[in-house]
Amino acid sequence: MDVQYEQDAGEIKRLQRCINDLVCLLALPALWSGGDISQVLDTLLNTLMRMLRLDLVSVRLNLSVVETPIEIVRVAQSFGPMPPAHEICEALNHSLGDNSPKWPPLLRNLMGDGEVSMVPLPLGLQGELGVIIAAAQRAGFPQQTEALLLNVAASQACIGLQEARLRSQQKCIADELDRRVARRTAELTAANAELQLQVGLLQRLPVSAWTLKPDGTPDFVNRVWLEYSGQTLDFVRSRPDAWISAVHPEDRETASRSFWEGVRSGQGFAMETRFLRARDGTYRWHLNQAVVLRDAEGRVLKFVGTTTDIDDQKRAKEKLRRSEAFLAEGQRLGQIGSYCWRPATDEITWSAELYRIYELEIGMPVTLELIRSRVHPDDVTLIEKMKLVDQAREGSHDFEWRYRLLMPDQSIKYMHAVAHSTRDQNGQSEYMASVQDVTARRLAEEARDKAQSELASVARVMSLGALTASIAHEVNQPLSGIITNASTCLRMLGADPPQVEGARETARRTIRDGNRMSEVIARLRALFSKKEPTTESVNLNDAVLEVIALSILELQKNRVVLCPELADDLPLITGDRVQLQQVILNLLRNGSDAMCTVEDRPRQLVIRTERDNGDRVRLTVQDAGIGFDPQAADRLFDAFYTTKCDGMGIGLSVSRSIIERHHGRLWATLNEGPGAAFSFSIPRTPAGLAHADGIRNIQAPAVTGSAAA
Amino acid sequence: MSCGVLPRRSAIDRILVSVVDDDESVRESLPDLLQQFGFAARAFSSAEEFLASGCIDQTRCLLLDVAMPGMTGPDLQQELIRRRKTIPTIFITADVGMTVRQRLIEQGAVECLFKPFSDTVLLDAVNSALRPK
Ligand SMILES: Nc1ncnc2c1ncn2[C@@H]1O[C@H](COP(=O)(O)OP(=O)(O)O)[C@@H](O)[C@H]1O
Ligand SMILES: [Mg+2]
Repeated sequence: MDVQYEQDAGEIKRLQRCINDLVCLLALPALWSGGDISQVLDTLLNTLMRMLRLDLVSVRLNLSVVETPIEIVRVAQSFGPMPPAHEICEALNHSLGDNSPKWPPLLRNLMGDGEVSMVPLPLGLQGELGVIIAAAQRAGFPQQTEALLLNVAASQACIGLQEARLRSQQKCIADELDRRVARRTAELTAANAELQLQVGLLQRLPVSAWTLKPDGTPDFVNRVWLEYSGQTLDFVRSRPDAWISAVHPEDRETASRSFWEGVRSGQGFAMETRFLRARDGTYRWHLNQAVVLRDAEGRVLKFVGTTTDIDDQKRAKEKLRRSEAFLAEGQRLGQIGSYCWRPATDEITWSAELYRIYELEIGMPVTLELIRSRVHPDDVTLIEKMKLVDQAREGSHDFEWRYRLLMPDQSIKYMHAVAHSTRDQNGQSEYMASVQDVTARRLAEEARDKAQSELASVARVMSLGALTASIAHEVNQPLSGIITNASTCLRMLGADPPQVEGARETARRTIRDGNRMSEVIARLRALFSKKEPTTESVNLNDAVLEVIALSILELQKNRVVLCPELADDLPLITGDRVQLQQVILNLLRNGSDAMCTVEDRPRQLVIRTERDNGDRVRLTVQDAGIGFDPQAADRLFDAFYTTKCDGMGIGLSVSRSIIERHHGRLWATLNEGPGAAFSFSIPRTPAGLAHADGIRNIQAPAVTGSAAA
Repeated sequence: MSCGVLPRRSAIDRILVSVVDDDESVRESLPDLLQQFGFAARAFSSAEEFLASGCIDQTRCLLLDVAMPGMTGPDLQQELIRRRKTIPTIFITADVGMTVRQRLIEQGAVECLFKPFSDTVLLDAVNSALRPK
């Protein structure tokens, strides 16, 4: 009984102890609360050691994959000398392996002097948190209750550790937060100091300066701005775009748009606006620039900006732009280009108009090659000459030259350039040149010269008609005096008694008028003086057409039907176009005159050009008029021979002299039917005639014979 | 110039023929020839001078140049017709033009002489101008 009782009492005692131990273990988390992991482990291991009289207890904790595991080993003093903790752990780890599910419930290892029973207790369901190893040398370890206690302890440890870990994590975060706050505070303080410095600077800057909050509201505006605009700081700060009331009404919309774009995008802005100057109520152009300040996270802290008065620059720029535009416009209007040339480097700068004149793309690099490609081949040497001149001369000089451009379409432009050469600081010469496209002027001049010569020709050709009248007037006036005086003189002398004094007076006057008359005749002779004809290449057909154009109205008035028969293959002749036209006009007039009484047939007037023998051209004017008396045929060409009541009789005589001056001849024939034909035939080139004659005299004497006729 | 300076007898005895011409040689020569014919003659260098002379009423025949600066010969003729001072007029001109002659005669001229003209042609013309119609 006693034994039983003792057994029972022992059993009860054991159980009581077990329950005590259990209670103790269950109370552990309360003990742990607020403690960190090392405290938890410390209490746990100490408790287990004491409670289960263990010889060795170790724990390995894998709190996270990154951190190295915590390993703690406790060994009873009785266990004797032991290797260092980490070696024991390593040995334990080694005997256990990594895979917790495969861990046996009990391991028997040789350790120290003898065998030890080791119980591995996984922490966490899969042992993911780590492992506690409880070991004792005594046999039978662990007993049932001991195993129970170990399991409870392990699960309690698990809870405690997880809580502790959570706590430590929280603390970590808190610490990190604190650290960051501290760092940021330091940064902000620094930044603020910096800002304060900047603000201080901003106040003193000679420009309007300001800062904006991230939402665009001004928080700082320096004195310069407040004084300029007359706005108060409170007003400016009252709303983000209060400042805009100082902007010129026309600029407000764009200013507001740029401002808000810059603020909302966090990019800052740069814009030009006109701001009202409070002092005098004028608007002046300002440049507003804002840059953004960001914090470490990239958030907008502030915008810092300046407003600079650029009115003067802007005006100056505008003036410059305008004067440049004027210059460009002037150059365009005047077709004047300009360039700058440094012969040493062949560096050439062109104005836009010059590109336009040269028909090159504006801005393309100008090289001498490029210029050469445009300058007329005959004028290219000018460029080389200029370089030579440049080398030969010292100091500044001006010169002027004319050259031509040969454009890709083969058209020619006439250029007139005036250059001024100077030396720069380095002694290198530099040409400033103005180049004018004078093509239009040239063409106008040519046209004017042509028009003038045509005018002259018209005048000269027409004057034969008017000449008749004017010659008559010039001659008849003194002639009238002569005849009247002479008559008077005769009558005075024939009177009874003769009036000698009066006669002498009238005779004197007669002589005077005679002299006047000879002056007139001298003038007329000068008019018809045998000037050498100017020689030019004449297309006789063209000359005929011009005369027709001149006289067609008159011919139509006289109901003349003009029939031109102009040869296609007519060679050019050398001669005086205007004089030849006078002849043609005379022949047409005479033909027309000869038909003025013709009513029974068409007043047909044929004008014909054709090649003539011996490299000559022939022109014939054939009418259907009254013809002429064959007896008088020779006299037709005499000066002052006329059968017309208002005729002068010089047309044919002048015409013949003109044709003879062209080494040709002029003759008249009567038609088979009614009317006459007047023809002239002239050699193609009177200039080459002398030489050509020499040959032709031998080869074809008949031809030259007729030319001389 | 006034006709009052003429010798009184001449003014009564002789018929006054006035010459209006801008050409000096005509003004010099024609009056002498007219005087040789027995007429009294006065010369005026312009139509205006003649109109202002006070000789219009005495003038029995007018020798009138066609082309003159200022008032032309035909202008003067028309002006005289307008003033109802019709004087037989002979035009003298240095410009040859049959059409002009034709027109002047149509407008009432007695004759149109082309310079130069002979003394007999002149005398014939003046005589026919003085012949009562
Ligand atoms: N086509 C012609 N038919 C007939 N006679 C002509 C012709 N051309 C000229 N004549 C004669 O020759 C003369 C001289 O002519 P010209 O020298 O031209 O002087 P103008 O024409 O002034 O009379 C004319 O007056 C005319 O008699
Ligand atoms: Mg003729």
